[in-house]
Amino acid sequence: MAEETLSIIKVRDVLVVTMPADPDDATISALQQKVLLAMERSPAKGVVLDVSAVESLDSFFARTIAETTRMVGLMGGHTILTGMRPSVAITITQLGLTLGKMRTALTVDRAFDILRDGSQPVQKP
Amino acid sequence: MSDSLPEEVALQTETDIVVVRKSVREAAIRLGFGITDVTRIITAASELARNVFLYAGSGVVRCRVVNQSDQVGLELIVEDHGPGITDIDQAMQPGYTTGKGLGLGLPGAKRLMDEMEIESEAGKGTKITVKKWRKKT
Repeated sequence: MAEETLSIIKVRDVLVVTMPADPDDATISALQQKVLLAMERSPAKGVVLDVSAVESLDSFFARTIAETTRMVGLMGGHTILTGMRPSVAITITQLGLTLGKMRTALTVDRAFDILRDGSQPVQKP
Repeated sequence: MSDSLPEEVALQTETDIVVVRKSVREAAIRLGFGITDVTRIITAASELARNVFLYAGSGVVRCRVVNQSDQVGLELIVEDHGPGITDIDQAMQPGYTTGKGLGLGLPGAKRLMDEMEIESEAGKGTKITVKKWRKKT
């Protein structure tokens, strides 16, 4: 089966990562490496992880996102998760996932506002 | 109706989890579930399929339509011949895991579905049946 591709583009000093609709585990695991390498290559102050195309998030996918956020944080960057669908938000909450103290925004546009303004309050789980 | 459902997906590799999600998604949409229930069913299937892959190595997922008075439902049977679950009560505790998971798979899948039944024997394998119901229209 063809591996669904992960798109990473740099917009100003922010990396915008677009997750495919239904990635397999290998693609999800590759996310971490690719994002961290991109952080190093193009010094970025933040990462916007857009999940608006994602149809379902299971515990493996969610854990990888939370881990990647921590790793980006260790490298000095902020991560903002954007575009979560209502059905996905309902499902992962019922599944018991909290995603830690992950910062979120409704759209990529709003994530840019948060990153530009810098010190936005951290979203409590 | 049940004839048109994808009946069985063999779980051999990690990528088969995606195949399970796609088949289950198709079946749930065809049965007329709304998008939130479709997402719940896909997510539960994904957790159960990953458990098979993590703990048993391989297994099979079967999917069928079930009827009950004024309700129609989707039933998923996830079966493997792995090590089995020695203590089901413990396995149902959120956060409990013997492997590298988060310990959310089984209790999470139960919350996302309407019914769950676990049959397991140490050394023989595990069979998990979950159902999601929808009112007939």
